[in-house]
Amino acid sequence: MKDFFSKLIIFIMLLPLIPLMLWPFIASWRWPQLIPLFGDARGFKHFFSAGSNSINILLFSILLSIIVTIITLAIALPAAKAIAFYSFKGKNIIKTVILLPVIVPMVAVSMGIHVSFIYLGLANNCIGVILIHLIPGLPYAVRILLNSFLLIGDDIATQGKNLGANSLQVLWYITLPLIMPGVIAASTMVYIISFSQYFITFLIGGGRVVTFSMLMFPLIQRGERVLASTYSIVFLASILLVVIVADKVIKGFFNDSNFLV
Amino acid sequence: MYKKLKPYLMLLPVMVVMSVFILGLISAVLQSFGYIPVFGMSEITLRHYINILESRSFLRALGFGIYISFASSGISVFIGTYVAYLIYRNKKETLWVRTLYKIPIAVPHAIAALLVFIILTQSGVLSRIFYNLGLIDNLMEFPELIFDRGGIGIIIAYTWKGIPFIMMITLGILKKIDARLVDTALNLGASKKEAWWQVEFPMILPTVLTGFILLFAFSFGAFEVPFLIGPSAPRALPVVAYIQYTSIDLSLRPQAMVINVIISTISLMLVYVYILAFRSIKKYFG
Repeated sequence: MKDFFSKLIIFIMLLPLIPLMLWPFIASWRWPQLIPLFGDARGFKHFFSAGSNSINILLFSILLSIIVTIITLAIALPAAKAIAFYSFKGKNIIKTVILLPVIVPMVAVSMGIHVSFIYLGLANNCIGVILIHLIPGLPYAVRILLNSFLLIGDDIATQGKNLGANSLQVLWYITLPLIMPGVIAASTMVYIISFSQYFITFLIGGGRVVTFSMLMFPLIQRGERVLASTYSIVFLASILLVVIVADKVIKGFFNDSNFLV
Repeated sequence: MYKKLKPYLMLLPVMVVMSVFILGLISAVLQSFGYIPVFGMSEITLRHYINILESRSFLRALGFGIYISFASSGISVFIGTYVAYLIYRNKKETLWVRTLYKIPIAVPHAIAALLVFIILTQSGVLSRIFYNLGLIDNLMEFPELIFDRGGIGIIIAYTWKGIPFIMMITLGILKKIDARLVDTALNLGASKKEAWWQVEFPMILPTVLTGFILLFAFSFGAFEVPFLIGPSAPRALPVVAYIQYTSIDLSLRPQAMVINVIISTISLMLVYVYILAFRSIKKYFG
């Protein structure tokens, strides 16, 4: 019975996704009919039409979030390592500061920094958008990588160094392959967070930097069920695709270059 | 010398990005005191705080926000912890159950709002089912759950994303509990219920509380869901802040910042309360 209950809750939670999948193909659905009249996938026609420019925006958006993910991982890696293996003054303060974006809303911070961004020429362009996108994912990246570092410890890297490997070799052949699960988890998380940002992109990008979220948001706002659900499905499918490809690429990359495993 | 500096150098890039975050906060505080030199406003004043704190619409929005966040995080924690516990107890639980439940975590809030809209609006899926079951005769009889003053739609959207999140972090901790601890308690004559309250629950409590705080702080400061499916009165605080911020009347900007500062302060205070609570829990359970 209790078994059944947990499955029931999960089932109910996933149920709303079914009408979302159906809506793009509905031509008309008069109330109170239970079964809609299916039509010609008007939403997808609009998505693929050259006039909507949706595919270009989607590709641009994916590229932007991949850049954000790579930069975030590149700066989070040394930071997580420093926190994991070094003791230094102010460590606790720094740890707390890095976690702050999880608590303090980005709405407040982005409105606060907006004037300065305009003044510095960082508003209404990609550089400013990328910079502001780095913030919300950073706490998760540092946290996940920190856990990975604590799990593997420092011993194997030290052995490598003692055997004559330089820092780069240690990073490439020892550290990265060992913390790969953490790298994949962190990248996935950071990518999804960046790809889903609406407000800060809209504010800092000033409408000039158009991501897929910004295409989708007004459709939901207007309650256009066919178009909104079409774009939502494309949104979710693109995330799934990128995550699967990234997983394969990262794993393949380190399997080739690594002779530990 | 280099050895001492090394960890700081490794942290430098992250701290550069974090300084944008900190500067954003400081700038919001300065602007809330009316200090925006770019607009020729350089007089420091408490006027905007007084204006905001005296306005009835602000107080209603504040109450509305606290109610939404408290309800959605509370429901998420109760259901999420319970279902996680059921899955954890059932060792034979299939892989698909353990995987599928995570889907809503990856779905952005805007799409969660769309789902709630499709299902619960007066011409939505649920109202059609109600009609065909003979529960209602026309669509106006279906309760208003979207754009409603009770914020039911918002709460459901946040709960939909909150439950699996709580399940994920709770299951993560439950898996780490040494099964022998529970077995020992059972062998010593504890009932399953007692073992839960005395052994497992105290161990997952810090994680569950952390989850509550994270959900609360997020929903309290987020813009998307109340903007998309919330009522026009009362509005959630981030929506009010945004509307004042984008107003043509630049003199409203400090007021927007006052609201931002208040949202941030409440979120930070919550973390402080959590740390205090955490200490007393540790004392209580030893």
